[in-house]
Amino acid sequence: MNDDPVVVENLVKYYDGRCVLDGISLKVPRGCIYGLLGRNGSGKTTMIRILLGLEPSTRGRTIVLGEDSTRLSARTHGLVGYVAEGHNLIQSYKVQRLVDLCRGLSLHWNSEFFGRLMETFRLPMDRKVKELSAGMRAQLNLALAMAVDPELLILDDPTLGLDTVARRQFLELAIDVIQRQGRTILFSSHILADVERIADRIGVLAGGKLVVDCTLEELKSRVRKLRIIFPKEVPEDLYITEIVNRQAQGREMVLTVANWNPQKRAILETFGPESCTEVPMTLEDIFIECTRPPSATVPQESEVEYA
Amino acid sequence: MLSLIAREIRDNLVGVTLPFIISAGTIGLMIYAFFWDIGDGVFVIPGLLMLLSFIAFCGLGAGQMYGDRANRVSALLATLAATRNRIFFARVVVGAVTVLAALVPVAVAVVFLLNLRLVHLEFHVRTILEVSVTTILVGFACYCIGLQVGWTTSKARLLFGIVLWTAVVTSIVWAKGFGPWTMLLLLLFIAATLVHAWHTFTSTSL
Repeated sequence: MNDDPVVVENLVKYYDGRCVLDGISLKVPRGCIYGLLGRNGSGKTTMIRILLGLEPSTRGRTIVLGEDSTRLSARTHGLVGYVAEGHNLIQSYKVQRLVDLCRGLSLHWNSEFFGRLMETFRLPMDRKVKELSAGMRAQLNLALAMAVDPELLILDDPTLGLDTVARRQFLELAIDVIQRQGRTILFSSHILADVERIADRIGVLAGGKLVVDCTLEELKSRVRKLRIIFPKEVPEDLYITEIVNRQAQGREMVLTVANWNPQKRAILETFGPESCTEVPMTLEDIFIECTRPPSATVPQESEVEYA
Repeated sequence: MLSLIAREIRDNLVGVTLPFIISAGTIGLMIYAFFWDIGDGVFVIPGLLMLLSFIAFCGLGAGQMYGDRANRVSALLATLAATRNRIFFARVVVGAVTVLAALVPVAVAVVFLLNLRLVHLEFHVRTILEVSVTTILVGFACYCIGLQVGWTTSKARLLFGIVLWTAVVTSIVWAKGFGPWTMLLLLLFIAATLVHAWHTFTSTSL
């Protein structure tokens, strides 16, 4: 039996004839904080919803805590904490009523921890959910998801709409509590700094494919961005394996390559480049490179000499 | 499960209590008509009120499903320690208990009043039983229609569905009268609508 809390095997999802997820396979190891990145509409939310059984898949299989997502038992649901994109709470309920409902439908409710969270967030229990600000709703959703002592916490863009302080507070809580308890987090976000701060492992969805799936360190060390100047025009027959992105303009070519090594460098040198400089990359740069269409123009960035 | 049932009742309090109010009104009117002898009115007015209660059952089912879809209630519940099957089951339990609790007292009141008027009631037991059971099945069928057509975001489709299917159910009783064949047809209708509503609810995106 697979011990990984989240397993996705060859997942395919079509919406109105459009392929949103095209054969995604990934595993989230136990105790890992997995940051799922992707542009708007790249399929992050769809994948998370399929994992939770809220959405049917077109093909493929997803397993959560050892159970197929299409047949998750109430017990398994009870072991998963979920913060939905847009904070899917029952808007017409008062906060207290929503808390009572979630408590009644939980396997284990950590009242002490929940009380502490509510105190920290200072959420009004007598107000309707729809009357709360986006930040308050996010905090309430997180408090509800964490109060069940989840074995797996799934956060779908949880900091969307939060101010900087609330975002930091949110992330610190997520790291502190869940990591201390050895829980697993699957975390999707648009804010790359957040992901960089807390994720152990990164997955990048682009064009329906999982183009990156490795640890953060691995990702940073593996992907290289090179600015190459040729004496004449950029050679049309230049080919290196695992090119993430490539843009050419006149004599200049910007090449982003995965798994850069001496062999690939040797191949490049056979084309006689005038200069080859490495452009330093943050996670944001890597993300942009992985998700940018190849037709984009050459960016102007600060460069360092390639050693 | 109890939490889910309690939520269903609380969220649909009007839909749950309305059939009881109609039922109490029906019994009250029957008693009034009986003791103040207004001829055929003794069962005609309550009969009309029963029609109203069928609409109320339909409204309860539709309200449960429509309210769920509009407020995305199950999208939250299905991420807690509850499955879609349990959510649906809790919903149907509330509907079935409401139908029974609203109609059984009316049937008991009818038997009681007839017992006062007719000397040999035992000769009419079968008829009373058939009418009572058929009425309860019609009530439950109307509730199931509500469940079936309520899973929509279009109010027009909701109203059209209620009118169409209620006409189908009442025409079954109109054509076949009260009796075993009607009961069988109603049971088949209930089974089909329940399975369809369950399948829609458990397989759709939440």
